[in-house]
Amino acid sequence: MRVVTMLAQVDEQKCNGCSTCKKICPTLAIEIVNKKSVVDGDKCRGCGNCNQRCPEGAVIMVKREEPFTVYVDPQTVSREKIEEICQKARINPEQIICYCTTTRAEEVAAAIIKGADSPEQISLQTGIRTGCKVECIQPILRLLEAAGVTPKRPDGYQWYGRTPTVWEISDAVKEKYSQRGFYFDEDIKLLDEVAKIERKGAK
Amino acid sequence: MKKPITPMKPRVSQYGVDPKYVTKRMAEYPEMTSLMLKDLFPDTPDVIYPSDKGTASVREAAEKALENVDMSMIKPGDSVNVCASHHGFTLQGGEPYAELLRTVRDVIAERTGTDNIRLRAGVGLRFRETEEYIKAFELDKHYKGKAKGVAPVDRGIPIETEIGTLYGIKAIYDADWLVHVHNSDVREVHFHRQVDRAVKPFGMSYARIETRSTYHQNLGPRGANFTARSIFASDFVQSKFAFTAFLEMSPVGVVSVDADNDLYALNDRVTVGGCKYYGKIMTLMGEIDECIAGLDFPCPVPYVFAAGVIYANFTGANVDLFDLDSPLPPYTWYTEAFYGKDGKPLAKEVPPINPAIKMVVHNYAWGGYPSAFFSEHAPSIVVGREQADLMNMDPQNIDYMKHAVIADGLDTAMKYAYQVSGTDKVIVFDGAAGGVNVSESLAKLLKEKAPSVSQKVDNVLLPKWLKQRGIDPASVK
Repeated sequence: MRVVTMLAQVDEQKCNGCSTCKKICPTLAIEIVNKKSVVDGDKCRGCGNCNQRCPEGAVIMVKREEPFTVYVDPQTVSREKIEEICQKARINPEQIICYCTTTRAEEVAAAIIKGADSPEQISLQTGIRTGCKVECIQPILRLLEAAGVTPKRPDGYQWYGRTPTVWEISDAVKEKYSQRGFYFDEDIKLLDEVAKIERKGAK
Repeated sequence: MKKPITPMKPRVSQYGVDPKYVTKRMAEYPEMTSLMLKDLFPDTPDVIYPSDKGTASVREAAEKALENVDMSMIKPGDSVNVCASHHGFTLQGGEPYAELLRTVRDVIAERTGTDNIRLRAGVGLRFRETEEYIKAFELDKHYKGKAKGVAPVDRGIPIETEIGTLYGIKAIYDADWLVHVHNSDVREVHFHRQVDRAVKPFGMSYARIETRSTYHQNLGPRGANFTARSIFASDFVQSKFAFTAFLEMSPVGVVSVDADNDLYALNDRVTVGGCKYYGKIMTLMGEIDECIAGLDFPCPVPYVFAAGVIYANFTGANVDLFDLDSPLPPYTWYTEAFYGKDGKPLAKEVPPINPAIKMVVHNYAWGGYPSAFFSEHAPSIVVGREQADLMNMDPQNIDYMKHAVIADGLDTAMKYAYQVSGTDKVIVFDGAAGGVNVSESLAKLLKEKAPSVSQKVDNVLLPKWLKQRGIDPASVK
């Protein structure tokens, strides 16, 4: 869930159409028209990536006159399906996977069940990936994969791909570093335990 | 009782309020005093900075350390990326780290004959932070216009590692050679657990979002920093790595400069130094029974410093963060993730936030880091509407003010904190150099507890911490 209070605004005098902003927008809200960036206000989630990376300083963030909330209610889809996707991804449905928006795995799973087939669609519908823009890409990709969805990469730097998880580290690597302070197997046990915990009233 | 130490000055930054709004500091109150680390722990190491020689001592130590480093692989005309991180600029006002970066450039140019030396400065979650530092310390001038900040959303490059594909920032790796310039301040013990501390930027400030998300979501609370080791150990990075230079830090300042062609060798030294130098003060902080914590430093909430320890680690001081037998610190992103919709932990392994923190007075701290967890788990008073507005407009802190109240000024906040918390013990995270600003009541407690803490760390905890990390305690003098 995300309350969207800010909007990106482009200064046309400063913008040179380099398209940096377009390549990093997590909701694909920016197009280049006549060598100028144009922000789609309906798609902008106020994350500030464009403001923070524009080489010309051509983007400012302004307060929206009418803030709005984006949220996918997990109760509007099958609980069994949510559980199935989350368990396959080894994430507890109640687990927070975005620390900026407190978005939980069940909401992302619900968005996927309702048809979101890419990180960009999930961000538009839930607001995830629009806070720090850094930490939550992997659980999103893991949940999409668990649902059998292969997302298409946008033509930019929004994301590159799913990366390894602790469950995929080979025994040889574990053995090699077992005396260096990495507690892989113990962490697997903890993560598995958390993923399987069922809360009263969840269903 | 000693006078309080002058706190670190507010800094002009887009991530914090204008310094004009920081009208009063917590250290100014008459009930406040200071404790020097040297008085608490006599074995605290001497420092070269702060000192009468200023940054000249850093340059001198850096030049001496670099004498033993092989730079013969760098030929005239080769490109060299001197890789830096934002964190170094938060230590002792930033000047020592800036001087190390200047010295490294000068020595490379002099020793190798190349002039194509670029500064690439990575960040945490404030994508223009190092741009601010580059400008403030005139590093763009020193690097002849070849200095830039890089961010985790910038164009990436895949790196094949022994656990699979991870991603670095392209601009970090677009040179013939890499030089890794960092520091040994322990900082985020809750994240890296003092395992491969020296390697961390390869999985963090030099890395793309995919890698950083791997660290915080895919590898587990004690395996997280393996992202860094696997990237550094990759053939790609090894083919470019030239050498490393570190500010050797203790909670009171810069102890020395260390440099090596072998990052793993330096990493072992950093592991020992971090446990030794920071273990005592962190353990002592765990002895505080009750307090008001003041945030009063130009950094995001978890990164404000007291006695060299960041607030995020104080929120976990009820647990031994160096002890790898504890799976979860009270604060880390894995821990935060494991709180359910009812606000309660999903698993029994989740320890509570340090119960000694009865109230938090947010007098001056930045946004730019997801901090709602802190205001949700410890009653918080934010001083001034401007700071509340800053947090409300920050995409990473949409919920911070949902859990905090606003005071019109510091006097109101302190009065309220004393009344509601019922304690007169205060600790201020204001970056005081050489020690810590605390109330007289807390100073008394810390002085009483310090000798036994010192003994416990020397005889019990330090050997345990080192063994857990594969280091023979007998090898440490």
